[in-house]
Amino acid sequence: MADTPESGAIVKREDDAPERDPIVSRSTSGWMLVSALILIGTLAWALYDEAYGQRPWKRAQQEFVARYTRYLRSIRSNAGKSETEVKDSAEYQTLAEEAKAAEEKVADQLKENTGKIRIIDSQLAAVTDPFQNARGRITVANYQIETASDSRKEKLRQKVAQMKEEKSTVYLPADDGSGKTAKQELNFTDLQTLYNKLKIDKAELLDKNGQLLKEPTELRKKRDEYLKNHMIGLTPEQITSLINKYEKGFDYSIKQVNAAGGGVVDRCETCHLGVREPLTIKASDLSPDGPGKKADEWARAFVSHPSKELLTIHSPDKFGCAGCHGGNGRATTSVEKGHGRNRFWLHPLYEKENMEAGCQQCHTQDRVLQGATTLNLGKDLFQNRGCVGCHRSAGFDRESDALASARQQIIQLEETMRANDREARQAKEAVSGVTDDEEGNAEAARLSARAGQLTVANSLVAAQIDQLNIQARYLMQDQKKVGPNLKDVRLKLVKEWIPEWLKNPQAFRPGTKMPTFWRLSADKSHDARAEDDRKAIAAYLWQEGFDGKMPSQDRAKGDAAKGKQLFETVGCMACHSIGDPDSQTGGTFAANLQRVGEKANFDYIVRWIYNPRLRWQPYCPKEKKDITREDYRAKNLAYIYDTEQFSTCPNDGAELQVQNMTVMPNFRLTMDEARDIASYLFSLSGSGSSSFRDPAATTYMDDANLKERGRALIKQYGCAGCHEIRGFEDEQRIGKELTTEGSTPIERLDFALMTQKAEKGIDPETGKRGEEWYDHKGFFEHKLESPWIYDEGKEKEPQDRLRMPEPYLTPEWKTALTTFLMGSVGAEGSNVPASLFYRPDDQRKAVQDGWWVVKKYNCMGCHSIQVGQRSVLMDLPLYQNPDWKEQLPPNLTSEGARVDPNWLLGFLHNPSLSDAQGQAEPGRSDRTVGTPAAEGGANQTQAATPAASSPSNGAQGGAQQNNNQPANGAGGGGSGGNAAAVPATATDAILMSEQFRRQPGADRNGVRVYLRARMPTFNFSPNELRILVRFFMAVSSQQEPYIHEPLEPIKEEEKTLARALFTSEGAPCLKCHITGDPNHDKTASAPNFLLASERLKPKWTYRWLLDPQQISPGTAMPSGLFKKEGDRMVFNGQTPEAFNNYHRDHAELLVRYIFQLTPDEQRRLTSGSPAATSGSPPAPTAQPPPPSTAHARGAKRGSATRLNGHAPARAPVKERARRARSPGHASAARVRRP
Amino acid sequence: MASSAETLKMGKGGLFKLTTGKIILIALVLLLVLYVLFVVDDWHQLWIIASAPDNVPIVAMIPLVVFFTWLGVKQAREHDELIERLEKDPQLAKTHHRKALPWRPGWAREIHVWPYLVRVEFLAALIVTVILFVWSITLNAPLEEPSNPNLTMNPSKAPWYFLGLQEMLVYFDPWIAGVLMPGLLIVGLMVFPYVDSNPLGNGYYTWKQRKFSIGMFYWGFFMWIVLIIIGTFIRGPGWIWFWPGQSWDHNAVVYDRNVDLHEYFGITNVWLKAIFGAVVVGVFYVLGGMFFHWLMTRTEFDRKLLARTSLLQYLTFQFFAITVLLALPVKLILRLLPIHIKYVWVTPWFNV
Repeated sequence: MADTPESGAIVKREDDAPERDPIVSRSTSGWMLVSALILIGTLAWALYDEAYGQRPWKRAQQEFVARYTRYLRSIRSNAGKSETEVKDSAEYQTLAEEAKAAEEKVADQLKENTGKIRIIDSQLAAVTDPFQNARGRITVANYQIETASDSRKEKLRQKVAQMKEEKSTVYLPADDGSGKTAKQELNFTDLQTLYNKLKIDKAELLDKNGQLLKEPTELRKKRDEYLKNHMIGLTPEQITSLINKYEKGFDYSIKQVNAAGGGVVDRCETCHLGVREPLTIKASDLSPDGPGKKADEWARAFVSHPSKELLTIHSPDKFGCAGCHGGNGRATTSVEKGHGRNRFWLHPLYEKENMEAGCQQCHTQDRVLQGATTLNLGKDLFQNRGCVGCHRSAGFDRESDALASARQQIIQLEETMRANDREARQAKEAVSGVTDDEEGNAEAARLSARAGQLTVANSLVAAQIDQLNIQARYLMQDQKKVGPNLKDVRLKLVKEWIPEWLKNPQAFRPGTKMPTFWRLSADKSHDARAEDDRKAIAAYLWQEGFDGKMPSQDRAKGDAAKGKQLFETVGCMACHSIGDPDSQTGGTFAANLQRVGEKANFDYIVRWIYNPRLRWQPYCPKEKKDITREDYRAKNLAYIYDTEQFSTCPNDGAELQVQNMTVMPNFRLTMDEARDIASYLFSLSGSGSSSFRDPAATTYMDDANLKERGRALIKQYGCAGCHEIRGFEDEQRIGKELTTEGSTPIERLDFALMTQKAEKGIDPETGKRGEEWYDHKGFFEHKLESPWIYDEGKEKEPQDRLRMPEPYLTPEWKTALTTFLMGSVGAEGSNVPASLFYRPDDQRKAVQDGWWVVKKYNCMGCHSIQVGQRSVLMDLPLYQNPDWKEQLPPNLTSEGARVDPNWLLGFLHNPSLSDAQGQAEPGRSDRTVGTPAAEGGANQTQAATPAASSPSNGAQGGAQQNNNQPANGAGGGGSGGNAAAVPATATDAILMSEQFRRQPGADRNGVRVYLRARMPTFNFSPNELRILVRFFMAVSSQQEPYIHEPLEPIKEEEKTLARALFTSEGAPCLKCHITGDPNHDKTASAPNFLLASERLKPKWTYRWLLDPQQISPGTAMPSGLFKKEGDRMVFNGQTPEAFNNYHRDHAELLVRYIFQLTPDEQRRLTSGSPAATSGSPPAPTAQPPPPSTAHARGAKRGSATRLNGHAPARAPVKERARRARSPGHASAARVRRP
Repeated sequence: MASSAETLKMGKGGLFKLTTGKIILIALVLLLVLYVLFVVDDWHQLWIIASAPDNVPIVAMIPLVVFFTWLGVKQAREHDELIERLEKDPQLAKTHHRKALPWRPGWAREIHVWPYLVRVEFLAALIVTVILFVWSITLNAPLEEPSNPNLTMNPSKAPWYFLGLQEMLVYFDPWIAGVLMPGLLIVGLMVFPYVDSNPLGNGYYTWKQRKFSIGMFYWGFFMWIVLIIIGTFIRGPGWIWFWPGQSWDHNAVVYDRNVDLHEYFGITNVWLKAIFGAVVVGVFYVLGGMFFHWLMTRTEFDRKLLARTSLLQYLTFQFFAITVLLALPVKLILRLLPIHIKYVWVTPWFNV
């Protein structure tokens, strides 16, 4: 190739044999071929990658289509079978036959009409064309006239007239339908007439057909409806169409939700194709080996959404999937990316157990979210376990925030007022300075007008300030703390117990809310100072806990057995539990009281049970100190303050904190009942047996030197977050705000020395390698598991170390709290655009607000407020007994629809429905006992009798339930509220006389006087009352404000009828409903009718009469009292003869009667009613009554079968239950006697 | 084949005979073993850095640079041998026009670009295309989380090719490290052909004929690579120095008190500082110039080259060599050594 002569010459020179030139001779074609082939290969790879590699969802869609259609096929035959079954049923056959018969009946007529229509159609077809031709030309000509010059118009008009006369040839088919046509020459007018006539004829015929078909159509609809209602799942036709949809018309593409308005782009459904399918698809349905086999990863991805309701509320078209679930809604290239499991994605898919964290993003304002059990639990825990004491989180502790804001606003408004005053004064002064000319006068007028304006404006500002002041007072009342008030530890606690408790609260009371301050307990802190710190804190608390005259301790014990009875029945156990932690019964909202006797002073507990709200000393937030007797004396004032009226500071008039910051309500017990309960509680624990009872060892608690250190430590550990402690009233929270904790960038979560372990997935406890936990979930879980974990190994001064104590949390609770924290992301960190947040401003807002109060006071401990929600009481062993089941507090699921909001407000304020003196309030619930004039005197005498003499069982019980006077006398310590009236309990006179002045409505239930569980007085502020009433109204979709529906007045003859119905054998209403007559009421177990007009809503009462089971399942009120007869409801039983001529609604008549019932009328009824006054002889017992089998059966059925005789059957039970209580009253009376 | 046989012959000093190269190699291996034993405690960390799609080029670069350096040296040595032979054999030198391979009997005297060069280039193009294809298919762009303006990632690293520049920010003011130095670097690279007075070495590998130029280039090139490697493998969270294989501890803290040179001399006056710095820098330039001059005059060949060089060429080269090639490593060492020199020349307007 490249051989040249020169090279030849060189060859000659060398001895070596010529070599082949490596560049010239070597062929590169092999290399070329291989590279080219590889290149083609990579090209193919690139194409594959483009089509499938980067689009793994295509595979998913293919899998889904294949598996889903296979599944659909497998269920189609079943669906066909069930369809046939339904179609074979007698009901369906009847319906089908009816439909068929109706169809046949009209078939001939229909056929005839249809024939006529066909003929008309053919005629129309013949006419339409010539007619439309003519009309078109004439319309054009008319337009020409309109636009032509005046001179031409006339000519054109003539032309139009001529056109109208022009004849068109029409071949009109004959009317008989023979198909023959008749040639006709018609001008435009004739055509028009003919055309319109045909149209009208056709319309008439069509209408006739419609009429004919009406009945068959309806019957067919009924038949199909029946099929639909009795078919489970889809019909074979629907399934077939689904199969077709997927097999023939499926579009392999990215399924994208694009709600640009909300900024949501979401492609999750590209792979999760089953989410919105009409069928409920389980993973096993789509398993690779055929339906019912073991599911694989794909099958699990293809399931339908487990909660279809959630999807209807949160349409995926609006929210996408990633909005709620987390993950990267846009990613389609891999499962990891789609689920946001790559390191840097801010919203990774929530784990299954934390799924509800997604709800929290938008529902931050909601205290209770339907269906979100875990999240709700998390919120409960955050509040109830005292997290909120140290950590702020938006929505929690609203009162403190609102109070601070109100106080701030007042300051600002006062500043505004001063500024206005100043400007007004300057304006007035400026008036005198202006010149006396036209311009000057105008200026003067302007200035004085301005001054006037400002003065008026100031009066408005003043009104605003007034409102804020009132608000501030209410808010102060509403502020609660998780832990007890520590301002009176000296009165309350056993001295030696305090340091013991601080050391390890869980040891004394496992599961208690008080977390373990592990830095104070020697085992974990590794700090020699731990014990000294404990001592210092105890010393501070002891020395700052009450410094008045210590009341003498009255150790007079009550009747523990009776106390036990009360404790178990009056409602304590809705919040408190008893028993060892592993076998405790009762609610977990408040403390377990098993060992309360070991730590507390008996006397204090008695008073606490009696009225937990009253403070020993009021606190003035302005002076920042407790107001003592001396402050009052200095102003020559009596030492009077209470939770209702006298709440201003004697020194500066500021609103005082006059209530303990506790949610513990007042059960309106008598002092003796309180004593009984306390005795019971103290009997649970052998007091004195505890190891810590060594008074000598606690002398340091009186050491004043320790106090300063104690103060610093209390500040350090933020004790005041949960407790009221003197000197710390305005203490701020010490913890980090957690409102947006869930969206903290992972880099800012301080894993500290755990970072490496977290990233490598090493468990800090066991050292074993597992899942990586360097994420929010891992951070929160480990922190809750052992709070010190991220502080461990750090070199820090003690005061800089982590302060978070170790809370008691079960694994389930930890998950719930983690879920709550993960969901707390704030608007910025939310995966959902802020425009979609749940921030209603209508009635739903009232519901939202209401839950905070409902949860705050644990209303759900006693009541069922949500459909399906169980109260704590329901699950107590006591209430498993069918008799006691009826003793459960009322179900409140439809309370708003039931009651008048104004009444509800009054009731919530004072559930005893009595006046300030403890009397049944005149004009309100006095009607329960009759007219005040007539009954008042009797009450007085009745009241005097049992108090003075040893009460006899029956009389005492009746009187107690009925008019409450005796109870009040017993409990209130004198309704007059002065020292002279104080009973001779040996308690210190100061405390008794001034603070425990009275117990309004003592020992009395307002509505259901027959219930042993008592609706306690919660001392809601007007704010909370308003929120609660609005809540109940909103939950039942009631309008606000409520305006009474006017009721048609009841006529005399109607009264007679109603009376007959009321007392008929079939519906002896007064057998159960109380009347106010003590003898009668002994056996009664339903509210007084006299309350109805004020308390209930007529419409609700009507519905209640028709079917109480529907409103309150399990109620004792019998169902099926009325039956439908035409358009009205009539009594379902032996109707009295007088009704024969009465053609109106019976139930409605009863409602009107009840709402217009007067006490006189009621007496008249009682006298005629077969009231069950018979009862078994008294047999006092401390045990709950044994179940009455007859009654139990009745309660279970709760239907029309109970119409007769259910009340008599229950009578003995009631009797016994009541009597069980009476010995208590006897003892109460004994103690009271001087 | 023959050339490889020859190389083999050269290495035939016996497997056990210690040469300088072998000693260095053994020392390096020993050092590596010690390093792995005593410094590396976190292979996972090393793997995370090395396997990041971001770092693929720089990781690949380490063996590639070694390989191509070896290849270049190998070829240069062969050509140098050829040159030696041709110089000894004027007859052959007259007829053998090929510079790229040692001459063999029967070989073509000249080889044309077409097809002999173009086909190889085409082959290379094919292979590079394949590599690019595979690369782009298998490694997606290493996109990270949506940016958060309130939070900077830590460590916050530029793409690998900028990491050298970023690392330079440690040693100089941003304006100098980010603008002046890169500018000089680029201009310096553009200037190189014009200050080169050596006509030899075109179209073939040679070491003997271009010792100085190749040396200077490798100095700069390695310096740059080393900076990138430091930025990629060594700088961890907080831009703290972690040896490769040490865990990047986010909680790690270091305390370096960087001082200006004048502080060692207790100079406080602003003007004195400026003058002191100017003097030091001036002295550095003089010394640096002397150093490079010494490098340029070490052999007869170099001296001949220098004689061909114009004053402008000489001064231009000296300026770039001292400023870029010398000042940068010197400053780097000053900063990293325990004396922690922050600035040498502090003036109210700029700091060096």
